Amino acid sequence: MPELLLEIGCEELPAPWLAGLAAQLKQKFTEAAARERLDPQDVRVAWTPRRLVIGAQLVARQEDREEQLWGPALKVAQKDGAWTPAALGFAKKSGVEAGALQQGQKEGGPETYLFAVKKTPGRATREVLPAIVAQALRGLAFPKRMSWDAWLDDGKGLFPFGRPIRWLVLLFEGTVVPFTIFSAQGGQQGAPLVTSGAATWGHRFLPRGQTGRAIPVASFRELRDRLRDHAVLLDPEERTRRIEEGLRAVSAAGTLHDEDGLAAEWRDLVEYPTVVGGTIPAEFHGLPVEVLQTVLVHHQKYVPIGGRGTVERFAAIVNTDESNAAGIVRGMERVVVARLRDAAFFFAEDRKRTLAERAADLAGVTFHQKLGTYLDKSERMVKLVGALAEQGALAAADRADAQAAARLAKADLTTLMVREFAELQGTMGGIYLRAEGADAAVAEAVRWHYHPLSVEEDAAPAGKVGGRAGAVFAAVSLADKLDTLAGYFGIGEAPTGSRDPFGLRRAGQGAVRVLLDFWPAEGVARPSLKALVAQALAAFTPARPASEVQAELEAFLLDRLDYVLATRFPKEEVEAVLATPGVDALDDPFDALVRVRALHGVRGEAAEDFAHLATAFKRAKNILQNQPATEAVQPALFQAEAERSLHAAVSGLSTTDGGYEARLRALASLSAPVDRFFTDVMVMADDPRVRANRLGLLQGALSLFYRIADISRLGGSA
Amino acid sequence: MSERVATLQGVIDSLQRYWADRGCLIHQPWDSEVGAGTMHPETFLRVLGPKPWKVAYVQPSRRPADGRYGENPNRLYKHMQLQVILKPIPPDVQDQYLDSLKALGIDPAAHDVRFEEDNWESPTLGAWGIGWQVLLDGQEITQFTYFQQAGGVDLAPVSAEITYGLERISMYLQDVDDVYDLRWSADRLYGEVRHEEEYQLSRYSFELADVELHRRLFESYLKEGWRTLEHEGGRTVLAAYDWCLKSSHAFNVLDARGAISVSQRAGMILNIRKLACAVAERYVAGLDGVRGDAETASAETRNA
Repeated sequence: MPELLLEIGCEELPAPWLAGLAAQLKQKFTEAAARERLDPQDVRVAWTPRRLVIGAQLVARQEDREEQLWGPALKVAQKDGAWTPAALGFAKKSGVEAGALQQGQKEGGPETYLFAVKKTPGRATREVLPAIVAQALRGLAFPKRMSWDAWLDDGKGLFPFGRPIRWLVLLFEGTVVPFTIFSAQGGQQGAPLVTSGAATWGHRFLPRGQTGRAIPVASFRELRDRLRDHAVLLDPEERTRRIEEGLRAVSAAGTLHDEDGLAAEWRDLVEYPTVVGGTIPAEFHGLPVEVLQTVLVHHQKYVPIGGRGTVERFAAIVNTDESNAAGIVRGMERVVVARLRDAAFFFAEDRKRTLAERAADLAGVTFHQKLGTYLDKSERMVKLVGALAEQGALAAADRADAQAAARLAKADLTTLMVREFAELQGTMGGIYLRAEGADAAVAEAVRWHYHPLSVEEDAAPAGKVGGRAGAVFAAVSLADKLDTLAGYFGIGEAPTGSRDPFGLRRAGQGAVRVLLDFWPAEGVARPSLKALVAQALAAFTPARPASEVQAELEAFLLDRLDYVLATRFPKEEVEAVLATPGVDALDDPFDALVRVRALHGVRGEAAEDFAHLATAFKRAKNILQNQPATEAVQPALFQAEAERSLHAAVSGLSTTDGGYEARLRALASLSAPVDRFFTDVMVMADDPRVRANRLGLLQGALSLFYRIADISRLGGSA
Repeated sequence: MSERVATLQGVIDSLQRYWADRGCLIHQPWDSEVGAGTMHPETFLRVLGPKPWKVAYVQPSRRPADGRYGENPNRLYKHMQLQVILKPIPPDVQDQYLDSLKALGIDPAAHDVRFEEDNWESPTLGAWGIGWQVLLDGQEITQFTYFQQAGGVDLAPVSAEITYGLERISMYLQDVDDVYDLRWSADRLYGEVRHEEEYQLSRYSFELADVELHRRLFESYLKEGWRTLEHEGGRTVLAAYDWCLKSSHAFNVLDARGAISVSQRAGMILNIRKLACAVAERYVAGLDGVRGDAETASAETRNA
């Protein structure tokens, strides 16, 4: 099959977009080509920041197409042996002579209709391609589009894109398919801006002395090979390999600290990756590792290299070869040193006052105009932590530490370091407290209290805080988040749609995760989220009825709990647990987690039973809907064996004890008697007493599950 | 390849010559405090509307909160930008930019020069653009932006805005680590010229500035801006815009003084933006309106 090659040559596209754009291009192109009957095969994409490339095998021309178009019924199409206007109109619309109209029956029906056979001869693929390319280009969705005053003559006009396109290679069977992007002038099509050709462009600066010349290509393979000669590694995997080799060579005996996955991001930042290594002067080795990492990773995208607890060197990516590495590294080191010098100054300056002294300064830092200062917030957090202790959810022995941590948690907002590197909030508080010799649990709690920031189970601070520090962290982190939520919901700033300027969804998820993943397993009670919400709200002067805010915030938190659990378990299982009428999940979110886990496990073992139960209970629920409250079951009223056996099964299970898994396993055995009940018994019997009794029996069976989950929500299959 | 340009004034000279050779009018700094070259009316207003425009100028840019009393080797209360506006955008605009580095004696092939995503936004001006920071061996030396909107008005055609950080580039060329060690001219250092100014202006904006006065100034400037803009008979856009710039600087002083709370901030920025957007809207209306050409009007205003 003949080959198509499209290269979209762009000004530098943002690295994080590239893989996604290439996938979209592949999809949009394949769809458009298939629609046009070009039978796309072996579609492949590759990219660098300056180009998106797609290659595919296509047929040389579309197959001819024969369509049967149905027209009016013969009885209205012909009158006295002559064609009526209806028939003539149909012939005209179908593009055939009236004499060529045929007659037949539709799908075996008795009526006779007219039909026309419309023949569309296939067009040459190269004639069809421009429209397909236009559709594919138009179809790309960018995280952010820009106007570059471009225009396509595809009927849609203005043509925004991710970055300006500067060249296009568009070849079919090795020869150019004409395609033009025009400039837009005054809202009209202007002069041609980019015209397709058979030549690509290499690296901006390499090989030295050979740039600025167009490079002719005829196929995907030739494009890739010629680009490699011109210092462009088109294949992302090839760039990754070169980066990995480079990192190994540069890191030598040191340990790479690439927790942020920078090496993966590097791949799409450059066309010709070379890893270079720089040195951090010894005077900065005493800075906290977190500070060094922030400067290197977040601000320069360099990967720290070091031994235990230090960062002595860094690895960086450059878009050129090794020949000038020494000079380039000197420039990079200069930037790093300038930033580290600032950081070292902040570090020394900040420690002239203790965090406890700084906490008072929070009176001058506004949290939100309507919600007071950070000092107010700290005081509210201290109270909420106290409430946890009173609920029995925080050990009496930890209460003082947790309240101290709550009081100090926000104090680092007044430090120079956090003002400069905002992402170090919390972290610096912990570091400064440690340096002051404060209690380790307090320091750790302050350090991590903004976390957890993401929903993944292994996300920080998983594995970083435990024991006493874990208990103190959980209390402070939860208090902070609930206070924030209560405050903003109270002033009507709940998130709506995509609008969440205060990051409240993240705060909600964080609060949920603290309860699911970080609450001490032993020694203390688990707090009622519902009760805590009420306490958090009580700290504010309400601008509207507190019950209204409470209901709104509870619904929000339930939704966040749903969201977090659904990242771990099938959505329907989560919903079955959260929507069950027997338990309020917000009273004990952790218990909801345990129930979903049990349901997921047992349902996996007995998929068929659960499928039957789901169907049966859906039916039962429908029947029970709109029925008066049921009464106690009276065995004397049973008429069928199926009633008796279901009743026996239900009665036997009511007393089943043990964990959720054991109970669910036992309940799965209801599948057979319930099925039989529905097969053999007419629930809506004529005799009202018999009917009520049967409804009561069904209700009893359903209720057995309600303490754990609403099984009827589980759909058909696992 | 030419020698590295050895002085700050040499850099200015080379870049101005370079862009003048490519058809740019060489303008002068705006004579009112601004935070960036973008605020200069030769950028903010000229990017509006369809008329082609190519200009380059140096703009000393005041950012009171960045003042460091002359003690920080990299941070300044007032730094200098060289701003280039190209409308419409030439298709080889990136190459033109890279050639300008060669004019300074920087051979891009001997360095790591990269265009890394960095979109620019000015909430006070209702302006934003898409583009990159240009990194030279890891150091940001230029902001390169395709202006998409100014004063809330969608731009068509769009303009390319190239903003060179003159101190940064010169430090690189001269291989110095402290801005005050830069050679400004053959026989004067940057520190000799500007150090005392940095100290005094930092001191003023962090310690001395009268907060209440600046609050009043902020309000008064905005009020005067609106009064001027809405004066009967029109042709007041340029005069009104000056007051918009003044209010922006008063805001920056208050900010450096720590006198603006987080929630006040948004409201104050919004008020500046409203005036900037109204100015832009009237300017565009003047360009299309029957009363004639705001370009002519602005020329007359300037001659007056």
